[in-house]
Amino acid sequence: MSGGMLYGGDEIGALVFDPGHHSLRVGYAQEDTPKAEIPAVVGVAPDEAIKLEAESKPDDSNVSSQSQHKYYIDTTFLHTPRVNMELHSYMKDGMIENWDMFEKILDYSYDKIIQSESHYHPVLFSESPWNQRQKRERLTELMFEKYKVPAFFLVKNAVLAAFATGRATALVIDSGATHTSAVPVLDGYVISNAVVKSPLGGDYLILRAREMLEQMGIDLTPAALIASKDVVRDKDKPRFVKKKLSFQPSNSWMTYMVKKTVQDFQQSVLQVSESQYDERVVSNIPSVHYEFPTGYHQDFGTERFKLAEGLFDHAMLGAGYIAATSAGMCDVDIRPALYSSVVLTGGNSLVQGFSDRLSRDLSVRTPSSARLKMIAANGSVERRFGSWVGGSILAAIGTFQQMWMSMQEYQESGKSQIDRKCP
Amino acid sequence: MADVRDIMELDRPGTPEITRETILGTDKPKKKFTPGTKISKRPEGMHREVFALLYNDNKDVPPLFPSDTGGNGYKQTKIKLGMRRPRKWEWMAFTNPARSDNATFYHWRRPSDDAKEYPFAKFNKKVDVPTYTDVEYQQHLTSDTWTKEETDHLMDLAQQFDLRFIIIADRYDTQKFSKRSVEDLKERYYKINGILAKLNGEKKIYTYDADHERRRKEQLKKLYDRTPEQIEEEQFLISELKKIEARKKERERKTQDLQKLISQADIQNDTPRKTDKKIPKKKLSNPRPSRVDTSYILQAVETAGIKFPDYKNSGVSLRSQRMKLPANIGQKKSKAIEQSLQEMGLELNPTATEDICQHFNELRSDMVLLMEIKSALETCEYDLQSLRHQYEALAPGKTLIIPAQLTNSEQENKINTGEIIDVVGSPGTPLNT
Ligand SMILES: Nc1ncnc2c1ncn2[C@@H]1O[C@H](COP(=O)(O)OP(=O)(O)O)[C@@H](O)[C@H]1O
Ligand SMILES: [Mg+2]
Repeated sequence: MSGGMLYGGDEIGALVFDPGHHSLRVGYAQEDTPKAEIPAVVGVAPDEAIKLEAESKPDDSNVSSQSQHKYYIDTTFLHTPRVNMELHSYMKDGMIENWDMFEKILDYSYDKIIQSESHYHPVLFSESPWNQRQKRERLTELMFEKYKVPAFFLVKNAVLAAFATGRATALVIDSGATHTSAVPVLDGYVISNAVVKSPLGGDYLILRAREMLEQMGIDLTPAALIASKDVVRDKDKPRFVKKKLSFQPSNSWMTYMVKKTVQDFQQSVLQVSESQYDERVVSNIPSVHYEFPTGYHQDFGTERFKLAEGLFDHAMLGAGYIAATSAGMCDVDIRPALYSSVVLTGGNSLVQGFSDRLSRDLSVRTPSSARLKMIAANGSVERRFGSWVGGSILAAIGTFQQMWMSMQEYQESGKSQIDRKCP
Repeated sequence: MADVRDIMELDRPGTPEITRETILGTDKPKKKFTPGTKISKRPEGMHREVFALLYNDNKDVPPLFPSDTGGNGYKQTKIKLGMRRPRKWEWMAFTNPARSDNATFYHWRRPSDDAKEYPFAKFNKKVDVPTYTDVEYQQHLTSDTWTKEETDHLMDLAQQFDLRFIIIADRYDTQKFSKRSVEDLKERYYKINGILAKLNGEKKIYTYDADHERRRKEQLKKLYDRTPEQIEEEQFLISELKKIEARKKERERKTQDLQKLISQADIQNDTPRKTDKKIPKKKLSNPRPSRVDTSYILQAVETAGIKFPDYKNSGVSLRSQRMKLPANIGQKKSKAIEQSLQEMGLELNPTATEDICQHFNELRSDMVLLMEIKSALETCEYDLQSLRHQYEALAPGKTLIIPAQLTNSEQENKINTGEIIDVVGSPGTPLNT
């Protein structure tokens, strides 16, 4: 730290957690990427089915009813079919819903990712801009009571995404798995009455893609269930052998795995057209070849654009529309500042052509006197982990160290002060 | 050897710890680098420009980052590396004076910095939000539209969000209180601030004009909320206006040209011929030439003076522009105006208020008119005299008596127009050569 005044940093061993619908990002502050990205689903199976796996610590004796269950966390364990293993998401509407499962995830994070004891590390959590008071207090309580963290802080993920681009005032467009939101941030505070969100995110694209692929009669058997496959010609019926399982994998697991399969398709194939979808224009663009886990492969042309168009063509929920609406709900004096720094973040914004289309749609709706500037990190890591990176920067800034809600403060005034400490 | 000792964790006597000073050697008296001490001579025959490119080493641009290596930076300093013990960093506890709770955190630090205060604490700045007691509130701060409870809430938020009123309005407790606009909040806050400041005997009291702000924002909102069609229409109207203005300018230019031509023609005819030429013509057309000539003179009187161009509607302009003499006023005339203004003790460029502008222009116009009349009169007198001489030459011995009214220009006002004309326009004048 001695030499550190120059860049204003002071690293105090803090941890940063960024929970989302797609995944939880965990890591040390002042590092440039999270140590791990853990899928936001937990596999639960009856205890009899135990083999060898990463499991939550058996030391939470306070939840006895759950000791009969085994919890499976992180990609490797989730992607293996298991007898009676059901997958659950602990998130709902951008907020933590199932606290028991979320605890399992936290246990796992400390145990396997951080590999250090929780009482050594202050913790910074991101939250959705519309998080509820009662949930914030619950998380505060959980971190202080169960994990005995020395200090805790909660920041809206949109604010962190803005910080990650070096801005305290921005209009943050966050397109994640379950929704896309437009969040105005002024001097590091979210203007909560002007937040606009739509349920069109990555999952929506995956759903539409899956419908289309199923209609085309394409077999979506996930890679985890395929033992071997042969090379076939373009559009030929795939020849593959399924793994022999002694049991039927649960429906939730199958759904999840098919979703992962389609997600890969979505990420490699889909593209947003530059302007409103026009079949004639789009058909001139070279098609993309894609091979499914079964070995089936073919070219995809106009479908790529037709599917992705769903994010933009909706009159009330399109990304450009919600961005303009959100800015329009803010005080007129700050609108120019918002338009001049539109920050794009979230994994779903990586769909090809997303940022170009958004800036085009938005420029139509921007007052002619305002300057529109869109800030979108080029790297896919920075885009997917925008909020986490912002948290990583914030938690290691010297002047931030006075902001933490400390264990002492928690013990003196309880969880209810989180609303005041972290507005 | 030192390495081995380090590994064995043996003490190394006699090797001091490294500090920044020992590395940079700044404890020794520094060699002064003053620009200009290193004068290299330009070799004969080398162009000055080339030399300047080669030898300006000590004119380096300043570094982008502030550096604390004492002016010369690492570039000039000879860093002394040696077998010395590096200073330690330790993971150690610290408290932050900017915190109210004395919480301890840990960070890496040099033990030598131990005594220093947490360096970031000094950035902990807070806005001073005024406070009031119950009594003060009752006596001075009550309002019809604000309860004390709501006022307290406002002041609390003002403190919490450091007077960011947009955020305050956003986080306002709308369940307890009704929704308030940013201007409402500011108005109340600054009112209270002002009253309390006055109570404290402060001289400078700031006031906040909420209505003005509301109107300003209303305008701004309207500006932003224009539909593309409206913007297009405005663009269209602006371009149309430009066209009209261009046309108008063109017309003005043409009238000015025309005026110039006319006045040039006037100057050319400003010799006796002017009268000669016209009189016979009129005489032919009218049996009573006297009338005609009157009208001629009257006409001249009407059109003379200065014709100031019409500045209305041609965009924004300074009013003083209207007092500028038009281009067709010659140098002689403007000199004369200047002179008589000075004689009258008037400014040449008075402040251009509406009234002054109008009267000043009228005055100068009258001046010019007067000059013109005077010169016309002189011409007439001259004509009269020459006529008399001609008459006397043609009819020796006879003299033409010119009535006194006609010769005395001082008595202008007594002139009987009818009579003048009789003389001037008397038939048979042999002047029309
Ligand atoms: N390279 C990519 N191309 C297209 N979509 C992607 C890409 N990377 C991630 N995504 C999508 O982004 C979504 C996850 O975004 P993220 O911001 O992590 O969501 P959340 O914050 O809700 O966890 C997923 O739906 C995923 O399919
Ligand atoms: Mg997110």
